[in-house]
Amino acid sequence: MTVFLKREVARRVFAKELMSSTYTLRDDSEKSPLYVLTPLGLKCNRVFIIGVLTEKEERGEDGNIYRIRIVDQTGSFIGYIGKYQPEAYEALEDIDTLTLVALTAKVRVFEGDTRKFVTLRPETISIADPESRDYWVIETAIQTLERIREMEKGESETAKLAMEIYNPDLEEYKRAVKEAVERMMEDYGELEVEEEILEGEEEEEEFEFDEEDISFEEEEIDLTELLED
Amino acid sequence: MNRVEKLAEQIFEEYKDYGVDKKEIIEKLKKLLVEFRVPENEALRTIRNYIIREYGAPATIRRERITKIEEIREPNRWVTVKAKVIQLWESSSPSIAQVGLIGDETGHIRFLVWTKAKKQPVEEGKSYIFRNVVVDDFGGVLRLNVTKISEIEEIGEDVEVKPPEDVSEEVEVVGALVAIQQNSGLIQRCGVEGCSRVIKMGKCPEHGKTQPKDDLRIKGVLDDGYRTYEVIINEDGVKALTGIDLEKAKKIAGETLDRNAVLIELKKMLLGKYLRVVGTATPRYLVARHVEFFRPDIRKEVEKVRALMEEI
Repeated sequence: MTVFLKREVARRVFAKELMSSTYTLRDDSEKSPLYVLTPLGLKCNRVFIIGVLTEKEERGEDGNIYRIRIVDQTGSFIGYIGKYQPEAYEALEDIDTLTLVALTAKVRVFEGDTRKFVTLRPETISIADPESRDYWVIETAIQTLERIREMEKGESETAKLAMEIYNPDLEEYKRAVKEAVERMMEDYGELEVEEEILEGEEEEEEFEFDEEDISFEEEEIDLTELLED
Repeated sequence: MNRVEKLAEQIFEEYKDYGVDKKEIIEKLKKLLVEFRVPENEALRTIRNYIIREYGAPATIRRERITKIEEIREPNRWVTVKAKVIQLWESSSPSIAQVGLIGDETGHIRFLVWTKAKKQPVEEGKSYIFRNVVVDDFGGVLRLNVTKISEIEEIGEDVEVKPPEDVSEEVEVVGALVAIQQNSGLIQRCGVEGCSRVIKMGKCPEHGKTQPKDDLRIKGVLDDGYRTYEVIINEDGVKALTGIDLEKAKKIAGETLDRNAVLIELKKMLLGKYLRVVGTATPRYLVARHVEFFRPDIRKEVEKVRALMEEI
């Protein structure tokens, strides 16, 4: 009897939730991949994102790594694409910044001096259309709200663990989802947005600082991960 | 075989491991049924109680009626099945501990173990008796529910399973195409009549070097954020999505002198796109019968968000 290999699901998660994650875990099974536990109790190893490519810088000794920033309705994701992911690398070469992109990416966690933080290693990247982005926002909003509901119930193991580790402000996440959806719905002739964008920006600044600190370390990890795949 | 012998046989089967004597059972049954004319169920109870007392057999033993999976046709039935766990899927909800597919020699059925049932997890590839599980209908698909009062017993026996390719069901899936596998695009199939296997490294795995036929297809992964589907899209589907048919694909390959150019083009057009696929789902593949770019009605979709927002 064949037992099929399980592929990790590409989770739908907003930047605010994913990039606030600092905790990693594995399953009991021997071959378990490394998961990131988000503040809303999502165990996640792969994500699917649609957002705006706002930065694309060459890094590494001979510029063979791109560092990218993808912005969604709640914040931004940072990713690194090296030549050893030729498909994503070549696709990215043809995409300019300030373009809507869809990407499937592995989630990785680096240990900085002060804390762990999340970056993405894209597997595929392609140009997206606004309609798909809107649908992504809705999917992600629904799946985020479902997680908030589980956190409120506090029954599942991951919810309990996330509560213990992050003690997240669930109202704040609800607000972020609401704002994300409302901002998106403006294009459909619907209503006002509340002004609370500033918070997110602050976080980004802080993040930038951490990440500059340890860029050397990251590249080393890139190479070891290559061997594992 | 007369009625007395039949009943005696039934009881003997239940308790033979406890050293009961069949002749003794027949004699006692005869006495009760023929001589004393007691009702059958009372006679059986009397015998059972006697055996439990005299032979120390456990009081709960009962002959199990094992239902074959192909016999499961309607919801709200309580059944006991002997089956192997073919595949476990990721649970989409914390209230579901496990979800997947089990099968016996007659068929397959989805099953789920509710978290509240508090059962030891089952493992892929192992065989079990699932006692007192209830059938429900979930969007037209029958499922076996393992609840608090169900029992799961692992058995040493390796239950034979009907090959998964033989079962299929019609489904509709909306998801993002998150990967396209390498053996997609302009491929070659074995030219031997009735074979059609995909040629790898210039050879058919069955027939070696043959006169190959070109074909256009996509093997990829559709992902809705809850689970993944390995999807197969044939030439018609590829054409419906991209406008590229087999002829055009061959032309692209000819112009670029690179068969792989077709795959690169398809990836550019399709990766990261939301697709709506209607097709046949086997445990392994989702074979697309109809495929299109998903065009969401955003105003309608956003209502789902608002409904959920109300709820929490």
